[in-house]
Amino acid sequence: MNPATGYAAIAVVSLASALIGFYGLRVSRTTGDFYVASRTVRPWWNASAIGGEYLSAASFLGVAGLVLLSGSTGFWFPIGYTAGYLMLLLFVAAPLRRSGAYTIPDFTAARLESRWVRRVTSTLVILVGWFYIVPQLQGAALTVRITTGLPPWAGSLAVAVIVAVVVVAGGMRSITFVQAFQFWLKLTALAVPVVALLIVVAGGVPGLEARAVLAPELAFPVEAGPHGLDAYRTVSLMVALLFGTLGLPHVLVRFYTNPDGAAARRTTVIVLALLSAFYVFPTVFGLLGRAFAPELAERGQADALVLLLPGLLVPGPWGELLTALVIGGAFAAFLSTSSGLVVSLAGVVSQDLLGGSVRGFRIAAVLSTLVPLAVALVTESAGLAGSVGLVFAFTASTLCPVLLLGIWWRGLTARGAIAGMVTGAMLSGGAILASAAGATAAAPGWLRPLVEQPAAWTVPLAVAVIVLVSLADRRRMPRSADAFLARLHVPERLR
Amino acid sequence: MPPGSSPSPVEGNQPPPARVRVTAAGTPRPAAPRAALRLDRAPEAPTSDIRGVYVRSLIRSQLRLGLVFAGGFCLATALFVAAIVLVPGLDAQFVAGVPVSWLLLAFGLYPLAITVGVLYARAAARNEARFRQLAEDDA
Repeated sequence: MNPATGYAAIAVVSLASALIGFYGLRVSRTTGDFYVASRTVRPWWNASAIGGEYLSAASFLGVAGLVLLSGSTGFWFPIGYTAGYLMLLLFVAAPLRRSGAYTIPDFTAARLESRWVRRVTSTLVILVGWFYIVPQLQGAALTVRITTGLPPWAGSLAVAVIVAVVVVAGGMRSITFVQAFQFWLKLTALAVPVVALLIVVAGGVPGLEARAVLAPELAFPVEAGPHGLDAYRTVSLMVALLFGTLGLPHVLVRFYTNPDGAAARRTTVIVLALLSAFYVFPTVFGLLGRAFAPELAERGQADALVLLLPGLLVPGPWGELLTALVIGGAFAAFLSTSSGLVVSLAGVVSQDLLGGSVRGFRIAAVLSTLVPLAVALVTESAGLAGSVGLVFAFTASTLCPVLLLGIWWRGLTARGAIAGMVTGAMLSGGAILASAAGATAAAPGWLRPLVEQPAAWTVPLAVAVIVLVSLADRRRMPRSADAFLARLHVPERLR
Repeated sequence: MPPGSSPSPVEGNQPPPARVRVTAAGTPRPAAPRAALRLDRAPEAPTSDIRGVYVRSLIRSQLRLGLVFAGGFCLATALFVAAIVLVPGLDAQFVAGVPVSWLLLAFGLYPLAITVGVLYARAAARNEARFRQLAEDDA
């Protein structure tokens, strides 16, 4: 691949993101602008921004790589990422908007009137955010290594610097514009190459005959298809993805920019449609890869399928052009998800530690970029979709149960919430660390899936602990619980 | 449509919901005092009055709605996957070189998720409209 293509695509996307960020700077003046875009963002803008922020390296590169590597198991990731928004719509969107809080710690602290709940929630939000940024930076490292030949750390560093600069300069308002732009960029950057590749494959453009093409029966063997599904792993993954979405810090922060609860619901429905449209394309990429590029199906290499396939199937300048497009889209994915996460982490860190000023927000933004950068530089990616899936499992076992019970159950108490979050964090975090350290290789066969895909048992256990401890602690139920729940569920005009 | 304007298009298309007479336990009160309606101004206001009854029933019906739709989605997904696995021959039939079973699993569940989402948003807005009518009648 021509390195000039890689440099050009990366430069254009970075420059465009920075320009839109600075354009937004002229609009954002007050602290309120900085934090929540003053709650005036329209549903379509907001939905595009949510989609732009949500579609990360795991979606853009990881889904296709996983379909190539392990077949129809890979389909469940995009289905879960999308259906997570359905759960968000059903249980969280409107009430959370009406709560008037800005971050998850704001919400839990107001709901349970407890400083300790706030501290525990903030710690978890920061952990989740950091470990969600790491795969983005690793995706950037992979992209830069493959497309330009530079050492991998250059990619991680470039994304971290751009994100820090854009967030420090513009805050949330400009981020909303950047994110919305990046959703449509990512969609185009996958849709155009997919259509072109399908035309090439169907029309038999010269040069394609030279490639060894797998027979359909070999490219899509029955055991890698729906028949080969592992029921426990699939269900556990779906629990993680469906409920993990509810607790992601950068997802929730977007709902505060809706004008009211009904608009939050409309926005979420639009997001569902946008995500569904987007995920068609990485899925098709994965299917094309199985038939036309089976040699890429190795660990560490499969995630680059989206970047390499256009160049493999379409020789010449058209192939270079398509490659530039997917590189640009991939970079947009790393930039948008990381900057969304950094904005929400900076909000949490600056409100808890630095007094909530614009200056504090900026310092916090830089801090929130440096830590994941350090982690990304010393670790190696073990499949982008898989590592993001583990972050979902952790979120689903910690923040999600407290959020759901806080919205729907008046009996929740501060002690119950803390006990449940700590239990969920220990269990799911322990399982994730154990399988990352390779401890599962020695485990008996029945234990392995339980450790490698823990959400199916850690989420119910966390919920059970919250409910039992809250019931035992019933005298300490916050007195404001009824009024708070009324505020979450009563339409705004009637307050 | 501008998001700030009301009512929402979804609510606007609905026929007015049927009037439901709700009676609180004991004697029905003539009208709740206006101050009790302003929950954000008086967060400690007692919720045992008729307004509180309405609010609790709104929360219950919204929760029930969410659970029904979530359960429906999970059940439909499970049935869909079971059908893909159990219907014979889907693995051996190819469309554009890809087995039908793969295509169904890859693309079949998104329309379901969108449909469930749209239906839920309508039903939730209807619940709120019903509550609004009760609360405004009462005031």
